[in-house]
Amino acid sequence: MKRRSLLVAALMSTTLPLVALAANVPPGTTLAEDQTFTYRVLDEFSSFDPQVVEDVNGSEVVRDLFEGLYNQDSEGNIVPGVALSHTVSDDNMTYTFTLRQDAMWSDGQPVTAGDFVYAWQRAVDPELASPYAWYMELMSIENGAEIIAGEKPITDLGVSAIDDHTLVVQLSQPLPYFDKMVSHATTFPAPKWAIDEHGSEWTRPGNLVSNGAFVLSEHVPKERSVRERNEMYWDNANTILDRVVTLVIGDDAQGLTRWRAGEVDKTDIPAGQYPALKQEFPEEAYALPRLCNYYFTFNLENGPEAFQDVRVRQALAMAVDRDVIVNAVLQGGQFPAYTFTPGATADFEVPAVDIANMTQADRDAKAKELLAEAGYGEGGEPLSFTYLYNTNEAHQQVAIVASQMWKQKLGIEVELENQEWKVFLENRGAQNFEMARGAWCGDYNEASTFLDLLTTPSGYNDGKFSNARVDELMAAAKSSQDTQPLYTEIEQILSDEMPVIPVYHYSTNMMLDASIQGWPVDNVEQTWYSKDLYKVATE
Amino acid sequence: MLNFTLRRLFAVIPTILVLIVFSFYLMRLAPGGPFTSERPLPPAVMANVLERYGMDEPLHVQLWSYIKNIVLYFDFGPSFSQKDRTVNDVIAQGFPVTLTYGFWSAIFVLVCGVPLGIIAALRHNGFWDYTMTGLAIFSQIFPNFVLAPLMVLLFTLSWGLLPGGGWNGGQWQYIVMPAIALGTSYMAGVARLTRGSMLEVLNSPFIRTARAKGLPERTIIIRHALKPALLPTLTYMGPVFVYMITGSVFIDVFFSTGGIGQDFIDGAYSRDYSILLGLAILYSLLTFALTLMLDLLYAWIDPKVRSSMG
Repeated sequence: MKRRSLLVAALMSTTLPLVALAANVPPGTTLAEDQTFTYRVLDEFSSFDPQVVEDVNGSEVVRDLFEGLYNQDSEGNIVPGVALSHTVSDDNMTYTFTLRQDAMWSDGQPVTAGDFVYAWQRAVDPELASPYAWYMELMSIENGAEIIAGEKPITDLGVSAIDDHTLVVQLSQPLPYFDKMVSHATTFPAPKWAIDEHGSEWTRPGNLVSNGAFVLSEHVPKERSVRERNEMYWDNANTILDRVVTLVIGDDAQGLTRWRAGEVDKTDIPAGQYPALKQEFPEEAYALPRLCNYYFTFNLENGPEAFQDVRVRQALAMAVDRDVIVNAVLQGGQFPAYTFTPGATADFEVPAVDIANMTQADRDAKAKELLAEAGYGEGGEPLSFTYLYNTNEAHQQVAIVASQMWKQKLGIEVELENQEWKVFLENRGAQNFEMARGAWCGDYNEASTFLDLLTTPSGYNDGKFSNARVDELMAAAKSSQDTQPLYTEIEQILSDEMPVIPVYHYSTNMMLDASIQGWPVDNVEQTWYSKDLYKVATE
Repeated sequence: MLNFTLRRLFAVIPTILVLIVFSFYLMRLAPGGPFTSERPLPPAVMANVLERYGMDEPLHVQLWSYIKNIVLYFDFGPSFSQKDRTVNDVIAQGFPVTLTYGFWSAIFVLVCGVPLGIIAALRHNGFWDYTMTGLAIFSQIFPNFVLAPLMVLLFTLSWGLLPGGGWNGGQWQYIVMPAIALGTSYMAGVARLTRGSMLEVLNSPFIRTARAKGLPERTIIIRHALKPALLPTLTYMGPVFVYMITGSVFIDVFFSTGGIGQDFIDGAYSRDYSILLGLAILYSLLTFALTLMLDLLYAWIDPKVRSSMG
């Protein structure tokens, strides 16, 4: 007996998810004659190869060019892509996806389950050596880790095509959010024949065969890329944009200037300019919640002795006035954070941790009390430490403000040190710091993408926090159908132990021309597809 | 002169080799590497990635295969940050862009700077002299990072005459602002240099002789005074030209031209060793070629230099 997934149930009861697949234009809308969407990106893309791409902007392009098993809708829920539905075995270890019959590659070939098998094997192939092979490992596909380590051949990967339209995935452990992970670029299908023919140049315009709503028609690295409607796409009739142009503009201020000049429809807002721009362009300046957190991490391995005292960590966490940082310093619609996991995360209810429910005055008083108890600060042993962050104006402002709060409220001397990005990463990763800035963006919309970071074996746990109960709960969450109580308990432990100080949860700040409609403002991963957008006529 | 040219050409090879070795080790001294990221790669993935790029070998082996690939296949290696492309691709795409607006910028510098300097010298201490000198000083104090946003503000935002950036295959509208922003302060330098040396030449005995012989002033200036007066300008323009066609990092970033200046910055931040090394080699080859050309140009202009070349 196989259990049908929620998605399938939804599909059976209504066709609504299918409607949400394409641009959803309200009746009576006058569309612009020229359906070209132009947007600015900061850097050149890392790649257009779905299994190789590793940057956010590159993934946006890849999502337009290729289509995976599932897409996301405007709220981040999964909706059918190449796959129409799936079933899960009783042990939650086998997923069977049913693929649509009418999906085509841009050269007219049908999209088959074999194209997915090829792509997934490619992603873990040590010969391709994709940095994103870790994502396949995270998906717990059977033998994935062994293949990456070179211990098994790629043909042993737990993915197979029963026929052209049935894909079976075997997991090494149950993963409740597995279906959410297949909207990620690394899992998109790949055209073997085109890759065999063109080798490493298969992603060039003209060579690139793709199955998404758009095809790549032009690419001048570091300057522009153009993608145009894919006539072979199964839902081409519902795609409205004809052309999507990206311009690489390496300077935020210049990006804004060119937005003002009408040369781009979308650009990022330079740090600190959101309030002024919101006032000037109320309809076009956006601050949207984003699945990222910002925190200060204590070095619990070889940091100052005082950090071993939980009262000191608590005191430092309480003395940080998040509202000042968010509302007076950053001013970009960020959210004060008292938990590690952002409130915007799907299926996650922010637990009522004590620190969140106190007034700042209470927190300050409590901070003084705790620090005194621990024997530090005014009247006790003087406390000083170094705070390390990567060179960046906004991080510097946050660092200055936080250090002033600690100094004024608790009499703690904090030395600020900034380092170039990669130097910073090296030092933080080698526990060569006392307190450091940290930030994390979710790989998928589920709390474990954040909380995994604070487990003992995590490679990203730079503060070396280790708590057996947290490890145990996280392990249980991997196969639990009801994760909220587990996550609540973990956040409670984190709030008690305070191995990191959550400061705020990110927002995305952007200028978007009023003529561009259909932007998924409620998608906290900011997973957008050009096929869902359209341009309305302006007078 | 042939001897001189050949000698210089042979000196290039050992110099480039020293440069490669030196830059190669220097880059590796910087903390972090091309695959250092906020999300550290799991050890097995990292091992595969390093192996793919040959970075699991000891440094001297990597260096040797790097040099071997250049000599045997003219292959400067893959880019680490733009994974679909090689260093050859990156330079082949970016260098023509930088070369194009750098070339037009140099033309702008010479076409505006030299006549300005000559007019100022000929009208020494007159109205035109003061106007030109004032203009020159004014443009010299405007660094390109002030001038460029100012130009965009006027030509793009206020008057809507020119696009605020981009390249678009090198249409003239996209070249004007980068070329002018890049060249203005050099143009001022050229004008001042030309003025100074022209004044000096005009006061020298052979010009007085020419005047005494009754040659027309126009002939004196163009046939006799101009060539020696341009020598200091040429000396100045040599390195400036190399800078213009290669190192215009700010212009490339600000105007989003897609030129190689952007690669240099990105390469440094992302530790894209092969891009950085490829660009360093390109820069030094260009410097060599241009200084050699300049020396030959000197010889053509100045007989004294020619005889000393042997």
